[in-house]
Amino acid sequence: MTTLSSNWDARRTDLELPEEIDLQLQMANVGSRTLAILIDLSLCGLILFVVYSLTVLFARDTAGDFITRISGHALTILLFLLIFGFQWCYFFLFEWSWNGQTPGKRLMHLRVIKADGTPVSGIDVLLRNLSRPIDTFGPMGLLGLLMIFVSRKAQRLGDLMARTLVIHETKIDWSIFDEIEASGTAAQGATAISPSIRLAADQWELLHRYLNRREQLQPEMRQRLAQSLYDNLRPLAKGTDLERSLLPPEEWLVELARRT
Amino acid sequence: MLETIEVRGPRRTSRPFLQELSALYRATTGDLAYAQTHYRGTTLLLFLHQLVARAHNQIYRPHRFSLRAAGNFFRQEVPRAVREHLQAVTWSAIIFLLGTALGISAVQFDEHAASIILPTYVLDSIYSGHLWTGSIFSVIPAPVTSTFLFTSNISVALIAFAGGLSFGLITGWILFQNGFMLGVAFKLCADYGLLGALLTFIAGHGFLEISAIIVAGGAGFTVANALLNPGSHSRSDALALQGRSAVRMAAVSVPALVVAGCIESFISPGEFSTPFKVTLGLTLGGVFWLYLLNSGKNPR
Repeated sequence: MTTLSSNWDARRTDLELPEEIDLQLQMANVGSRTLAILIDLSLCGLILFVVYSLTVLFARDTAGDFITRISGHALTILLFLLIFGFQWCYFFLFEWSWNGQTPGKRLMHLRVIKADGTPVSGIDVLLRNLSRPIDTFGPMGLLGLLMIFVSRKAQRLGDLMARTLVIHETKIDWSIFDEIEASGTAAQGATAISPSIRLAADQWELLHRYLNRREQLQPEMRQRLAQSLYDNLRPLAKGTDLERSLLPPEEWLVELARRT
Repeated sequence: MLETIEVRGPRRTSRPFLQELSALYRATTGDLAYAQTHYRGTTLLLFLHQLVARAHNQIYRPHRFSLRAAGNFFRQEVPRAVREHLQAVTWSAIIFLLGTALGISAVQFDEHAASIILPTYVLDSIYSGHLWTGSIFSVIPAPVTSTFLFTSNISVALIAFAGGLSFGLITGWILFQNGFMLGVAFKLCADYGLLGALLTFIAGHGFLEISAIIVAGGAGFTVANALLNPGSHSRSDALALQGRSAVRMAAVSVPALVVAGCIESFISPGEFSTPFKVTLGLTLGGVFWLYLLNSGKNPR
């Protein structure tokens, strides 16, 4: 995983927003970008194929009546416009109107942003997509791939020219936070009685993730994980009533979670 | 909340909503700064990063598209970019004309040289004493040919722009090739007594079309120049800087080529008088250059 530390606050205002933080964004890797392109291209190809078949069907019938000929010509025009549109406008229009995403990028959770973290504007998108014949389409795609591999921020030539990045938007597992909010109110009373135990952040997270997922685990796996967590977290409970508790590992972990 | 604004955009939300969003945003950035110091490497941190990034995207959004912005783009930004890079446009014109000159002399030396660049049906019709255009435009209706012509011409122009990234090699090749083709066609038609007919045919659209290609070529050379002579900037900075004005130059060739393509198929093959075509062509080309050289000079 390549992470990028960008100095976030390029335009601080007089309000002195508390924004002087490094925001880490996950760069999209070569594989997902290639896949996104392939999805987009197959979408275009599919539409072109349908229109092309229709055109051929109508155009074959040159001796046909007036309506057939007119619609044949209309389809031919449509075909030219589509070929042109897919080559030059498809990526541009989608990335412009969908804030840096095309259908393929949306499926792969990718997004184009400016190198300083702001959303892309029309001219950025135009720049990065007009350069596609040089570094994306056909054999030139190899050049684009190479650029994504070697350049520090995974930028192809068009990205360099438009100063854009393609980032990966990770899906966050919201569930552990939801659970805590729900249990947080319920556990208020319990903490008052027994002294709370301090866990390090990663231990805490490990514990909650386990408790959250345990319903989906297979029984023996569930037992094994509980045992190993129990062994690891046991020393932390020193000096509290939990140390002497004889609960089985899993119940013990639930108790522990309630007291942190 | 973020989802709402991502879907709706700021215009269609209420003022209190926006105020709450900005307050929450500030609170979250504070949380993030705290979490970065105290909870390194947790999912919580990742989550806060994402949240802040999404909110940041919504809060600092660029200007949305408007007609006024588009008008401004074509009235001021485009001509200014062209004037700034007039040298690149000149080079592009020189290479195009060089191609033309070479085309003419190539046919002068050896008539068969034409066969390397012109397709056979064009050669056949010239040898038999007609212009090739007549046969195409009488069979296929004008709307179809015009669409084909302007889409392919715009593709050529845009590739000429993008070719700048290949240090100008592709740009130069495209300009040279098109110039060469023109030169060959001219000389060959002259040899077969068709020069008048050809001139009449291209009078209406030729000037505008060639001008647009040359400007797009100039855009390509601007990009190439940024790569080759970055000056006091780093190469990538120069590229980003010059690319911005170069893409404006390339953009202007699009509407120009649409107009040229329509004239080429609707008017050029038609039964219009030669003076009319010549006037139209000169006017359009003249207006195009006057626009590029003068528009937006005195911003209010």
